[in-house]
Amino acid sequence: MKRRLAVFLSILALVSTLSLRAESDKEVEAHKAVLDLAGAFSNDGFKMRDGHWSGTIKPNEHALIAVNLYAGNQYWFSVGATAPAKKVEVVVYDETGKLMTTESYNEGERAAAGFSPTSSGQYYISIGLLEGGESAFCLIYSYK
Amino acid sequence: MNRCGRFVAGGCVLAACLSIGAESPRLPAEQLAKAVRNDSISIPTPGELFAALAKPGKPNWSGQFRGPLPTTYKNRAQIALNLGGLIADGFIAVEAQDSQQVKNIGTDIIRMAKALGVSENILSRGNSINEFAENNEWDALQEELEATQNEVKTSMQTHRDQDLVILVSLGGWIRGTQVVSAAVMQNYNERAARVLRQPALVNFIRSKIDDVSPGMRDDPLVKEVSQQLTNIEKLVSFPPGQAPTVDDVRKVNAAVGQVMEEIQHKPEAK
Repeated sequence: MKRRLAVFLSILALVSTLSLRAESDKEVEAHKAVLDLAGAFSNDGFKMRDGHWSGTIKPNEHALIAVNLYAGNQYWFSVGATAPAKKVEVVVYDETGKLMTTESYNEGERAAAGFSPTSSGQYYISIGLLEGGESAFCLIYSYK
Repeated sequence: MNRCGRFVAGGCVLAACLSIGAESPRLPAEQLAKAVRNDSISIPTPGELFAALAKPGKPNWSGQFRGPLPTTYKNRAQIALNLGGLIADGFIAVEAQDSQQVKNIGTDIIRMAKALGVSENILSRGNSINEFAENNEWDALQEELEATQNEVKTSMQTHRDQDLVILVSLGGWIRGTQVVSAAVMQNYNERAARVLRQPALVNFIRSKIDDVSPGMRDDPLVKEVSQQLTNIEKLVSFPPGQAPTVDDVRKVNAAVGQVMEEIQHKPEAK
């Protein structure tokens, strides 16, 4: 029930924010795909952020975004991509650019990284397109 | 090369590979500098901050409530800053699981949002906040508060009030930091104190304020808050892995408290 509510609220927010930036249909599709994945973490008590980041990614390229995290919290960063993406990955770097150890979930064009920082501050989330052609992607994150 | 030489050379190559493999891959600084930073992902919600604070032990959330804010602000920058602070108050009331307080704050949020001329859609958010509060649906309330904040920001952007967006985020961060630093001071422990380390976040907010239109930048309140952020950025720049001391926390609390005073300062009656 909680998961359904979270997904419903997020879709509502998605619809209401469409006017903010003209997102492509593919980006909207990627957003829907990632909401379903992130919704699964809500069952474990993770709260889904309402904000998201979407764009396009080319093969063997990485899209990078800065986030600010708090020590003590647990996070899941989820990404969804559309066809022709076949395999995507999410990795986390600290403020010095060092690769962090994460729990990972991969399911073809959807992936997630679970991370619990021991130090508060800035981190970087990198999204990579490992297999497939240029695609739209969407990143959202959850915390508890 | 004889057999023994080939073996040694091969061993050296293998050792070199292993030592490279042992080193975690790093992203170069120039790549980090190019990373996207945006309001909706790079700035955490007050709810995230409060969730981290509550891990070592539940703080006295209701002890952090403050009195109602004036509804007579005329300055749009001041309204936006206070709106952000009010949304943080909403998250505090949710943590305290005080449904009446949530409803009161929800009403004030809508009133202040309307004063900025944001979309009428915000009214339905007010109804949802009331409904979730009456049913004690705390998780849904957290999401609704963030969605309300985002809707306000979206409306500002579509009404070409982009400059106000960062002020809403800033107001929320300052109020959240004031509450967290006060709670840590009351019951100090290193684990809780670590949440106050956020130099990059303050730097990002400051850079966004530098980017607002000259008219907004010259607003006396915005100017004052922006100047004080430079000092606050230094105060929250603890080395990674090192917990701030009680005295460090006290300094942060005093600095954000001073900014909060200016933000919520009552307009002079005419």
